Amino acid sequence: MTTELARPSPTLGPMEPTAASTLAARLTRLRALDTRLRPASELPRPAARAPAGPLVAAARRTRLAEALGGKLLDTPAGSIVVVERDVPLPFDPLPLRALPFPIDADRPLIMLDTETTGLGSGAGTLAFLVGLASWSGDRLHVRQLWLADQPEEPALLDALAASLPPDGWLVTYNGRAFDWPLLITRYRLQRRSPPPLAGHLDLLPVARQLWRHRLPDARLASVEAGVAGVRRGTDLPGALVPERFLRFLRDGDPRPLVPVGEHNRQDVISLGLLLVVLAEVLARPEGRSRAAAGDLVGLGRAFERAGQAAEALACHEAALERAAPLDRRDGRAVARPGGRLPTLDPALERARLLRRMGRRSEALEAWRAIAAEGGRRAIGAWIAVAKELEHGAHDPAAALEAVRQAEQLLARRRALGLFFREAERDLPYRRARLLRRLASAPASAPPAAPASASVASG
Amino acid sequence: MRLYAPAPTEHAVEQLLSDPAFRAAVVADRLVPARQAALAPFPAWLDPRLVAGLRAQGIEALYSHQAEAMEALRAGLDVTVVTATASGKSLCYDLPVLQDVAQDPAVRALYIFPTKALSQDQAAGLHELARAAGIDLAAAVYDGDTPAPVRSSIRAAGQVVLTNPDMLHAAILPHHTKWFQLFEQLRYIVIDEAHTYRGVFGSHVANVIRRLLRLCAHYGSAPRIVTCSATIGRPDALVERLTGRPSRVIERDGSPAGPRRILVIDPPLLDERLGLRRGTFGFVEQAALTFMRAGRQTLVFGRSRTSVELLLSRLREALREGHGPSERIRGYRGGYLPTERRAIEAGLRDGSLLGVVSTNALELGVDIGRLDAAVLAGYPGSIAATWQQFGRAGRRGEASVAILVATGGAVDRFVARHPDYLFSASPEEARLDPDNLHVLLAHLRAATFELPFAPGERFGDQPADELLAFLAEEGHVRQAGDGRWYWASENFPASEIPLRTSATENVVIIDQGPLGRGARPAVIGEVDLFSAPTLVHQGAIYLHEARQYHVERLDWEERKAYVRPVDVDHFTQAEAAITLKPLETFATAPGPGGERAHGEVMVSSLATIYKKLRLETLENLGWGRIHLPEIESHTTAYWLAVDPAAVAGWRRDALDAALVGAGRAMRTVACVLLMSDPRDLGLVSQVRSPHFERPVIYLYDGVPGGVGLSNRLFARHAELVAGARALVDDCPCSGGCPACIGPRVEAGGEAKAGTGRLLALFAAGS
Repeated sequence: MTTELARPSPTLGPMEPTAASTLAARLTRLRALDTRLRPASELPRPAARAPAGPLVAAARRTRLAEALGGKLLDTPAGSIVVVERDVPLPFDPLPLRALPFPIDADRPLIMLDTETTGLGSGAGTLAFLVGLASWSGDRLHVRQLWLADQPEEPALLDALAASLPPDGWLVTYNGRAFDWPLLITRYRLQRRSPPPLAGHLDLLPVARQLWRHRLPDARLASVEAGVAGVRRGTDLPGALVPERFLRFLRDGDPRPLVPVGEHNRQDVISLGLLLVVLAEVLARPEGRSRAAAGDLVGLGRAFERAGQAAEALACHEAALERAAPLDRRDGRAVARPGGRLPTLDPALERARLLRRMGRRSEALEAWRAIAAEGGRRAIGAWIAVAKELEHGAHDPAAALEAVRQAEQLLARRRALGLFFREAERDLPYRRARLLRRLASAPASAPPAAPASASVASG
Repeated sequence: MRLYAPAPTEHAVEQLLSDPAFRAAVVADRLVPARQAALAPFPAWLDPRLVAGLRAQGIEALYSHQAEAMEALRAGLDVTVVTATASGKSLCYDLPVLQDVAQDPAVRALYIFPTKALSQDQAAGLHELARAAGIDLAAAVYDGDTPAPVRSSIRAAGQVVLTNPDMLHAAILPHHTKWFQLFEQLRYIVIDEAHTYRGVFGSHVANVIRRLLRLCAHYGSAPRIVTCSATIGRPDALVERLTGRPSRVIERDGSPAGPRRILVIDPPLLDERLGLRRGTFGFVEQAALTFMRAGRQTLVFGRSRTSVELLLSRLREALREGHGPSERIRGYRGGYLPTERRAIEAGLRDGSLLGVVSTNALELGVDIGRLDAAVLAGYPGSIAATWQQFGRAGRRGEASVAILVATGGAVDRFVARHPDYLFSASPEEARLDPDNLHVLLAHLRAATFELPFAPGERFGDQPADELLAFLAEEGHVRQAGDGRWYWASENFPASEIPLRTSATENVVIIDQGPLGRGARPAVIGEVDLFSAPTLVHQGAIYLHEARQYHVERLDWEERKAYVRPVDVDHFTQAEAAITLKPLETFATAPGPGGERAHGEVMVSSLATIYKKLRLETLENLGWGRIHLPEIESHTTAYWLAVDPAAVAGWRRDALDAALVGAGRAMRTVACVLLMSDPRDLGLVSQVRSPHFERPVIYLYDGVPGGVGLSNRLFARHAELVAGARALVDDCPCSGGCPACIGPRVEAGGEAKAGTGRLLALFAAGS
């Protein structure tokens, strides 16, 4: 039973006596133990045989190229598969200059979308497919860079850097948060600098501002369908993409990747289509007559945020012309099926903007016009009229009349069991203050308590 | 006599000892002599701005250990500084870092502290020094509380990044490409409070550091590592396990200290048979009140949050009765708001607070200066922690006092009976095992995610290929045609590894609220899978935050225990049948009385029954069966196989009792030797082991895979046996008590004698 010490003096660690054979034995036991402890669904997969040597790697690439209809691109850093397609898509980018979005229409525009092995942003998430699209005359040229195996990544990064001109302007969908940082990570991991770019337009926030209000969500598939009329056939859900590539790494069968390529190609084409819609419909006044009212209000807000008030006003006014009478009566937006966001009300937007621009008399007229149409939003409009008359025109008598109008509407709604809380709270104070002003000289007394306001009500 | 009269610390101690009851309980009274400062001039190469900054802070020279550390770092060595609390350890790394940053703003340093609070403290100190020196420094804490907008600027421009191991593991390393400026220019890694990195946590941290160094190599940097630790045994070994590299150890403390008197109090036994003794808290209170009434700043250490709150309210009450300064005493523990803690620390520094009752939260390097007195309510679990807490008392040039009051627990009893362990024995080693297979594999996944492995590349001491091939079977890792190992999974492995617990699988405890109230179920805690069958089986009374919960149902498949709050007069205690089977012997050595060995074992635990015991009297109120599957775990064990000839003629039941008694005594001593918690160390004794066909005592590592404990017990066998023997022989009880051979050993009064004889067999000749 007694054996010798495995090592003279094990002062530092239990791994010392654990020679390689012992480690193997411990791993074997761990394997057995794990199998017993874990449910069957989590059982280890059968050992994936590592493809041995460059021959197998070459065969894998060739199969991938064949399945995708692409060709091999050999570089000093390795080989990748490149798939190229052209689609006719006439486009004049110059009108984009008029839009309040960060894009330089004079530069080469490059649409980019990646397919990755996961949604995380850590160093272990790989971009195995980079789809690029750029215009060449009236045609949109789509170029997809495919990785056939992990060791070839430097070649893919080389090819990508070569495809991105230094003065190019990137166009992506959520690329600011996801695709581009992920690609930067890939370059950093190889200890290289990412390729330079002149600029980057992420269309996701643009789509949220302009189109989200009439769509079920802001996914690219929803936006391209609702805005550019794209109908994808059987599109591969994005969530399945990582698993398809990981499986290809293990079994080398490229066929399940074909739908991944189609999905990615449609993504970059859709980015191009959205640019076309922006340029043809929203960037030009004559195009705006074809735009949905809500889209124009969103654009107006974008202009306003960019400090272009006059442009914003033009959008709101165009929206007002486009808005259906039905839409205009009820300021609460038209709740459409599918849980869409409320449409912004162009009339309200316009009136607020005029006030903000300091065009007070026009703002007053705008509020009056809204008030005259009645409905729920008329209450708010009468309050706005009252404010304008009290503080702008210094006409408390007229302001009090506006307050009375609002109160009447409020009472009518209350009788129907409808409440408008802010107005219910606001109006008594406002009335009391106006009454005090009228009663005394221009007063500076603080607002009275609601109790005292009831004296004059009736 | 005035109750509140300012008096020097020495007088207060004498007043305390003038009480005969107190005096009688003193089992050790030592004087640690004053230590003179050993100073060294500022090195000639030190940037003049730093010299001016230090002078502006009133520092005219360095302590010898600071100078030594700086010179060693300058020579390109890793450095380990092991000196007392508040001896200026931070300067050992702050100065070299500032020196380098002043000369080259591109230089980066990474500071790692075990807690967020310490990072904040150290950042403040570093900023102060940089300001005093007029050196521009971008230093920032990067932890879970860092706001998102600040994070990206820290990544790009932070010259000194202060963080904790958890953040490094889950946020920095997996996203290393966003930190490339840091990794490319990393010149210093500072690992402070390294003695806290022990056990499973330490094993994880050692692997996090492996990953960190691997990435540094990828980015072409070769940082020096500065490690600081409280006094522990074999700091060189700890640091080598933790960082995988040798380090120059600097132990000579150049900071001055006044004389310190140290008392160890052993509350007298009231009932010998039951092991009941006078309360620990009574002595703690008496000592703390005496010091505070004399106007001496006093720190009281409790072992748990509950005892801190209890002591605090009792001390306040006592001070209030005498119209004393009851508002000048505060509590301090985890769970207090950061601002509250900062205010308490400041109050201690500026003297506005007279006393603080704290958990070990104040044991770490939080800057509160030094106080007059420290009173420890119970042995803090290790000699190192004891000296850390003692070290809080001791002003420069003035006398101070530190008092340890033992509790009735077995380890406390051992320390109280053998106070020499505190004074002469070398402090325990902090043990950790970076090669624990479970921990190692988990971090290897994370490391592959971070960067592919080249064939033959080492992770730790050996090539990782065999382990990677094992991971490839799971499908998360694959070897590509170039022979390298790549991450090939959608998962984010770091998120699956919690650093501060061992088992990756837990049972969550769900409070369903009081019966019939329709409260929303809430998760109140979790227990690891291996403890679950004995802690949260159906019918158990589970204690959480001093509240009782009744376990209504344990859903084993879903790993969920459903509980409801109750208020009952009993608790439950489950028994498990534990069987242990040796799988592989790593080493054996013959010795008197038998042979010792360590190796890998499989422990199967089957929870069998539970008893309901009345809270006060431990009276048995009934029992129930537990129906749960057996749990198996692989771990490492140290065992002692008794030579059958040596115990020939012993009665079987007497031998059984002696094996149990010896095992319990050895476990108690092992906890002292190895800084471990008794719950981390399992004990199985067999009168006739089916495997060895002789009597065997096993001490096994409670953590799956082990953290290197059995190996150390094997190496320190002689001390273990000698300690256990002393524990049993010196115990004043007649037939065995909870403090020596443990409770309820059958075989009448012979158990203790038998245990003594058995241990003597192993000690013979040594």
